[in-house]
Amino acid sequence: MNAFGFYAPVYAWLALLAVPLVLFYFLKLKRPRKMTPSLVLWRQVMNDSRVNSPFQRFKRNVLLLIQLFLLALLVLAATQPYWHGKASRAKRLPILVDCSASMAALDKAGGSARLDAARAKLREIVNGMLPDQEFCIISFGRSAHKLADFTNNKRVLLDALAQLKVEDVPGDLESALRVAQAVGRTSPFDQVMLFSDGNLPAQVDFELPFTLSYQKLPPGGQNFGITSLNAQRSPDGAWDVFVRVECSAEAAETPATVELKRDGERVRAETVTLGRGQAQRLIFHVSSESACRLEVNLASDGFDSLASDNRAYLELPAARSLWVFAPASLASYRHALEALPGLRLFPDESGRSGEAVFDLVVTDRPEDRSLDAKVALYVGMVPDAVSGRVGVAREGTTVVDWRRTASALQHVDLTDLLLLEDPRLASDTGEGELESLGFETLVHGGHGPVLLEKRTAGKDAYYFLVHTDHSTFPYRVGFPILVSNLVRQASEAAGLTEMRAALTGVLPPVKLAPNKSYSIEGPDGSKHEERSDAEGALAGIPAPWVGEYSIFDGSDPKAVVGASLLSTHETSLATAGELTFSENLAVSADRAPARVDRALSPTIALIALAVLLFEWLYYHRSAGWFVR
Amino acid sequence: MTEPSRDSRVTTLFPNTLLNRVERLRIVSMRRFTDKRRGEHLHGCSGTSTEFTDYRDYVPGDDVRRVDWNIFARLNRPYLKLYRQEEEMNVVLLVDASLSMSFERKIEQAKGLAGAFGVMGLLGTERVSVAVFNGRENTPARLLPCAGRASMHKVFGFLEKIEAAGDEPLDEGIETFLKYHTGRGIAVLLSDFLTFGDLKRSLNRLTGAGLEIFAVQVLGPAELSPEVDSDVRLVDSETGDTLDVSPGELLEIYSEYREEFQRNLALMCRQRLGRFVSVASTDSLEWVLLDLLRRRGWVK
Repeated sequence: MNAFGFYAPVYAWLALLAVPLVLFYFLKLKRPRKMTPSLVLWRQVMNDSRVNSPFQRFKRNVLLLIQLFLLALLVLAATQPYWHGKASRAKRLPILVDCSASMAALDKAGGSARLDAARAKLREIVNGMLPDQEFCIISFGRSAHKLADFTNNKRVLLDALAQLKVEDVPGDLESALRVAQAVGRTSPFDQVMLFSDGNLPAQVDFELPFTLSYQKLPPGGQNFGITSLNAQRSPDGAWDVFVRVECSAEAAETPATVELKRDGERVRAETVTLGRGQAQRLIFHVSSESACRLEVNLASDGFDSLASDNRAYLELPAARSLWVFAPASLASYRHALEALPGLRLFPDESGRSGEAVFDLVVTDRPEDRSLDAKVALYVGMVPDAVSGRVGVAREGTTVVDWRRTASALQHVDLTDLLLLEDPRLASDTGEGELESLGFETLVHGGHGPVLLEKRTAGKDAYYFLVHTDHSTFPYRVGFPILVSNLVRQASEAAGLTEMRAALTGVLPPVKLAPNKSYSIEGPDGSKHEERSDAEGALAGIPAPWVGEYSIFDGSDPKAVVGASLLSTHETSLATAGELTFSENLAVSADRAPARVDRALSPTIALIALAVLLFEWLYYHRSAGWFVR
Repeated sequence: MTEPSRDSRVTTLFPNTLLNRVERLRIVSMRRFTDKRRGEHLHGCSGTSTEFTDYRDYVPGDDVRRVDWNIFARLNRPYLKLYRQEEEMNVVLLVDASLSMSFERKIEQAKGLAGAFGVMGLLGTERVSVAVFNGRENTPARLLPCAGRASMHKVFGFLEKIEAAGDEPLDEGIETFLKYHTGRGIAVLLSDFLTFGDLKRSLNRLTGAGLEIFAVQVLGPAELSPEVDSDVRLVDSETGDTLDVSPGELLEIYSEYREEFQRNLALMCRQRLGRFVSVASTDSLEWVLLDLLRRRGWVK
């Protein structure tokens, strides 16, 4: 492949202008005449070999040579030459730009972020694009966004580059490749260029339908960050807060301070020393008397290239008992529940049914479906949504299989379980239809599902299609284990045993008033509106940056949720020099920097302008206006 | 003392004060080319002047009027008393008045020097003549030999009327001049010597004609150190030929060639027992005559 190419070689005919140029030069060249007494000495001088040296001959016609050089430059610029890039000249080129958290890493103290380096490189590429080329810019963090569709408008592309902003989330290359693939359906292309610091999963589950040019940016400097923050209820009822801090593999041993704030007030600080990829776990003991908001800050004494992983937030609820509802008709369940500590069972001995909101509801009464609970087990009930598709026959059956990894069925053995009722799928119904309705079959009977699970925002509901009292299940060891699993799941859902920090990306659902608009203010001061659903769940709140997101009802603050990066991969700044796609297709990072076709016309035009100025200054200066 | 007005000056060639000082100078000839006519230049042979040189024995045929009778009375032998022979010398002023001399007061400088040499010759009782070379088609304008102070105005008048014009090369002018000239002496050659012709032959002819060469080269400032700021087309004032010149290292080479040219001229004159000096048209006549030429031994 030639190093040079010409976009418009047809304009080479302009070189014929050299003919009239030479003609006019000799016709119009009029030296000023100067009378001299005699040419005797001058002729001897002009016959001297030094005067007739090639350089002196050149100097005599330097004006003509300069003009010819100027014409050559202009003709060259008109033919629009360009440097060939590494790949063949791509007319359409989607450019994927990694905007994940690691792209904010600085290369040195006071240095530039990885994204800024990528932006500078991309500006260079965009400025050098040829008229028949179209670029498309797609940024990706947790998800991909198309910032500019295929266009050759440099202004649009440069504006899109200016919009690139780092999101404090792990990068998801697959989503970006899928967006590029979708773009390719309407505007086909053969090559995609990826700009990233390499902090991506080395294995990508994607079949590449195009050539991927992987442009790996230089990695950031040493980094220290918080990679995990969670809390567990200790036996004494208080919270044990676990903080994990790590550093990148290239980091030198440096002391750092981990500071814990409770509701904005500093309560504890620990000093750790990390280096060369080491990690350390710290435990803080926090009282659970009241709900609180924890903030953990990490401050390194040395250079820390990434700031977003130095803060993490954790919401801790106040300690209380688990509220469980189980009617007296389910004596087996109540018996199993009463043996478990830390819960309050309703209806209690006095017959009080308690609040309308429970953490766990186990019932076989259809009227109890209105009870609100994060976890619910409905026994002997067929969900209304599948009532036409599943029927229960009065025949005996056994359990064929069950999902042992399901949260409720962990360590539960249903082998040889006898059921006196037989749930049956309608003849024209398959399990796929149940899945399409949001139901997952956890236990399979002889002719249909026995146990279904349906997960909705903030609620996990289990449906035993047969009544367990009409089976051998209450007499099996697995029964109290199932009840215990449900209690554990409800405790986790209620945040009574373990709490994990919310991650950036999308905030966890927040329970508020139903069907109401709320204003969410991000840590960068940006505001947007979200509306809660019929159940009062405000879900799907985007949280691209680390910090606290405040939820307002008008001007009335309703909740504050902190989002943290907490990504070992991002904090390590580990880079993948090779990405492996489906069918073991490996794409290595290009060793040479990104080289796309680069237009040379502007440079040549600038040189021509410089030559023109030189010629004007040198030859017309004596008659020039500016001398006067 | 105030300088007399232009009307009261004896000549326009130079001021009266310089004239007074020039009148006291005399041309120093190295070879003493003289005519047989009586003059003020002492000849090596015995002559009829009043300056005694020697005695010799009388031989038959000698003029008895030259016998020193006092010696004869004492020694009773006749001795002849010898006197120096004083002969007349021609001073030929050859003025190049071609068009090239019209630049930068070169002709004025040449005329002034010619006038000064003329004064020195006339007051030294030499026969002063002038020849001017300026027209190829015409015979040289000539002032026939004249002598004595009374001829001073005639010489001045002739010189003052000279104007630089024409394209006659110096060598051709000398050849033509020698066709009409008789008499020995010195030839003061005033020119820029910028000619394509063969100067060797001309100088040989002058020497062969019994004329000692006093070559004075007059150059203008533009010839001594020319200025070429940009591309120019130089036009020869005499031939009309052109030459395209560009600025650069040419000027250094030009200076080398000019100095070499002057060295060759001086060598040619020396080889013919002549003299050569180069002056600038901007040099003052007073300095040239009273300082430069006196130091070179041209005048005393």
